[in-house]
Amino acid sequence: MLSVRYRKVLALLLSLALVMSMAAISGCTPDDGEPAEEPTDDIQMGGTFKFYISQPAFIDPVNLQESEGTQVGQAVFDSLVTFDPLTSEVKPAAAESWESNDDATVWTFRLVPGAKFHNGREVTAQDFKYAWERICNPDNESEISYHLSAVKGYDEMQAGEATELEGVTVVDDTTLEVTLSYAFADFEYVVGHPALAPVPQEEVEADPAAFGKMPIGNGPFKMSEPWADDQYVKVEKFDEYYGQEPYIDGIDFMILADQDTAYLEFQAGNMDFVQIPTGQIQATIDEYGESPDGYTSNPGEQTILGTEQAVYFILLNNTDEVLQDAEVRKAFSLAIDRQAICDTIFEGTRIPASGIVPEGIVGFQEGGFEYSKYDPEAAKEVLAEAGYPEGEGLPVIKLEYNTGSGHEDILQLVQNDLKAIGIESELAGMEWAQYLDKLDAKEYQSGRLGWIADYPIMDNFLYPLFKTGSGDNYSAYTNPEVDAMLEEARKTVDDDERVELYQEIEKKIGEDAPLIPVMYYRHTRVASDRVMDGIFSPNGLFHFESVWLKQ
Amino acid sequence: MIKYVFRRILQMIPVFIGVTVLLFILRAPGVLPGDPVRMITGERPISDALREQIIKKHALDQPLHKQYYIYVTNLLKGDLGESYQRRTSVVDIFADKFPNTLRLALAAIVIEIIVGIAAGIISAVRQYSFSDVFVTLSTSVLVSVPVFWLGMLLQIFFGIRLKEWTGGAVFLPMSQMSSSQFPDWVHLILPAITLASVSTAYVARIMRSQMLEAMGQDYIRTAEAKGLTRRAVIFRHALKNALIPVVTFVGIDFGVMMSGAILTETVFSWPGVGREIFLAVGQRDWPVVMGGVIIIVVIVMIINLLVDLSYAVLDPRIRYGGAQE
Repeated sequence: MLSVRYRKVLALLLSLALVMSMAAISGCTPDDGEPAEEPTDDIQMGGTFKFYISQPAFIDPVNLQESEGTQVGQAVFDSLVTFDPLTSEVKPAAAESWESNDDATVWTFRLVPGAKFHNGREVTAQDFKYAWERICNPDNESEISYHLSAVKGYDEMQAGEATELEGVTVVDDTTLEVTLSYAFADFEYVVGHPALAPVPQEEVEADPAAFGKMPIGNGPFKMSEPWADDQYVKVEKFDEYYGQEPYIDGIDFMILADQDTAYLEFQAGNMDFVQIPTGQIQATIDEYGESPDGYTSNPGEQTILGTEQAVYFILLNNTDEVLQDAEVRKAFSLAIDRQAICDTIFEGTRIPASGIVPEGIVGFQEGGFEYSKYDPEAAKEVLAEAGYPEGEGLPVIKLEYNTGSGHEDILQLVQNDLKAIGIESELAGMEWAQYLDKLDAKEYQSGRLGWIADYPIMDNFLYPLFKTGSGDNYSAYTNPEVDAMLEEARKTVDDDERVELYQEIEKKIGEDAPLIPVMYYRHTRVASDRVMDGIFSPNGLFHFESVWLKQ
Repeated sequence: MIKYVFRRILQMIPVFIGVTVLLFILRAPGVLPGDPVRMITGERPISDALREQIIKKHALDQPLHKQYYIYVTNLLKGDLGESYQRRTSVVDIFADKFPNTLRLALAAIVIEIIVGIAAGIISAVRQYSFSDVFVTLSTSVLVSVPVFWLGMLLQIFFGIRLKEWTGGAVFLPMSQMSSSQFPDWVHLILPAITLASVSTAYVARIMRSQMLEAMGQDYIRTAEAKGLTRRAVIFRHALKNALIPVVTFVGIDFGVMMSGAILTETVFSWPGVGREIFLAVGQRDWPVVMGGVIIIVVIVMIINLLVDLSYAVLDPRIRYGGAQE
């Protein structure tokens, strides 16, 4: 038998071993992934795709708003049009063809005849009208009714003065005519939003709560069972789908509370598509290989890091005493080292923004905002010309932000950059709700905001953010020339001409530097090695129609 | 006894009113930032006409006391309102979540009681032995390990490494839905151990010190002198007296667990009440916050009552009710 002293030492060592083994487990590195494999042509049918999402707010189109619910919604529903998963160009979906009149105020959509809902009933133009009116009905308190704000009669419905959308006419079962209250040549992109899909009135009205949990759509996949709150949403292939039959049998959208847990599940082989946790980007690339185009995943090329249709910017209040001077704003913009922010804070998973419209949007141009680049010397000169040499005479600029999402780290770097050209600034963090209230009331000096595209069009970045009086124009920028050009662009039916005009508008706005684009977002996802030709689009939606699973 | 229970239940009423009033004051305009209409309609701007309609519908234009009256009247009918964010009934949301929380809490409490008490007794009875030093040191470690970290370690060890080492034969599920081949209770193992870890360590320590104290008492010496077996002395005499503080701790801990274990629930994606309320607070989803807190308050009050009543069983000197109190 061991002496008492030895036993105590042994106990101590055992306890130590416990601590060490904990550390050891966490430090282990997994085996190397499989070597890159050439994608084959023999597509295999079947299999269930396990897709990680966090808890959605809604999966019913009536309030389909955030990325997670929209992911499910786009699998279960088809809107009139859809977008090419790589080029974002508009393509037919529930509508086989469409056209507008000369000034883009009246749009006619012809539906695919014989397309069915998952309950077996044929989809008609009336179902679109019903679905859209359901969204605009103030009783439903939809957060996404603004998608339809261009449609004639929208304001009346929102105000509770009308029960129908005046501008939506059912010509016959397969023809839908939409009249807008203003010209909008990009409206065909708007109707591609997954929230604007048709819904069967009889199913909604039979039990609205049940429909919310188990919506019946017209898309390639139908719900297998009601959404299990905080657990999963399961969908399976819809046999009577009018479009191309998907290769996979179904999708299990697994709802996990924590992306670290999701990533562990992925590493254990239980998940096919997850978000990469912070700090793991390089390790993931090393182990699973990087997708060559940033969007398409095949074995050995599984890490998805393509640009997202979103931009992060510094907001400047253009009515502020100091910041109403465009020269000061330009100096501000030239002072910021965007690359340093992307590299030090985001492991290079974001890229410096050279304009307000990000990559992946039809018409994207490099250098859309003239002053959206890092040039501290030029910044100093501009500042001196504005009458503040070395920042002399400038008050301390207040940089406000919402706490808890890492913005402080970014703004601290901005603060240092500003200091380098002589501008003193102070940070002020607050709750998101309070922050939004301040932005709304324009009671702020400078701040931050992210903007994610609803549709892959330049208008989506330019009109809401810079049109005089727009509710999203938080910087209170106003330029009659730009306003006129924005209206003009919306009326321009020719696609190329319109895009050109928008590019011109972006440059024009950029000359005034009303706000400061900082970076474009990038995806940080990884797919399993059985995912073949899986495309995660720039708009953040997975293209389930083309993916297949290696059995 | 019945009188005592009745009185305790009556005492719950002012507590309940206090809590609901406090919650109502918190949501009064100007107390916490954030516009309630915005919480309902999202971040995009809305028209004034729509804003007015929403304010009317949710009675946000009424004075606070009137809103309180409406809320309590509905509450008495079993209606906790509708979530601002998800537009579903708050009662339904928690009816979904409470069974999960209860299962997890019960499993954790069972571990806490069995492991904690056993470890405490062993280390007290064999003071300064190998097992005592091991228990004392490992409980110190457990108490200082962050729960989420322990959870992730367990996940990596039992979910990934074990699977690799055994060629996929032996492993445990890392989150509630990860591997449907397991029976339901298996999913409980890792979260329950994680949730129980810190409390088990505390129970072991309380148990140890209480036992040591009890073992030094005169009546123990008497019992030993009577010639009772060591087993009888420990379990019949010392343990019963040493248990009271442990029961108090476990009871309070159970109440805490019932109000949700946010970290454990998050790491293991366990769909419980803690996370629901935590998220609702972040989204200023007042009906969910209020409903959740009210349900928890009621449960905690009931558990406290049960704990108090259990003292009478453990210690014959404690009697409730009447003039003896």
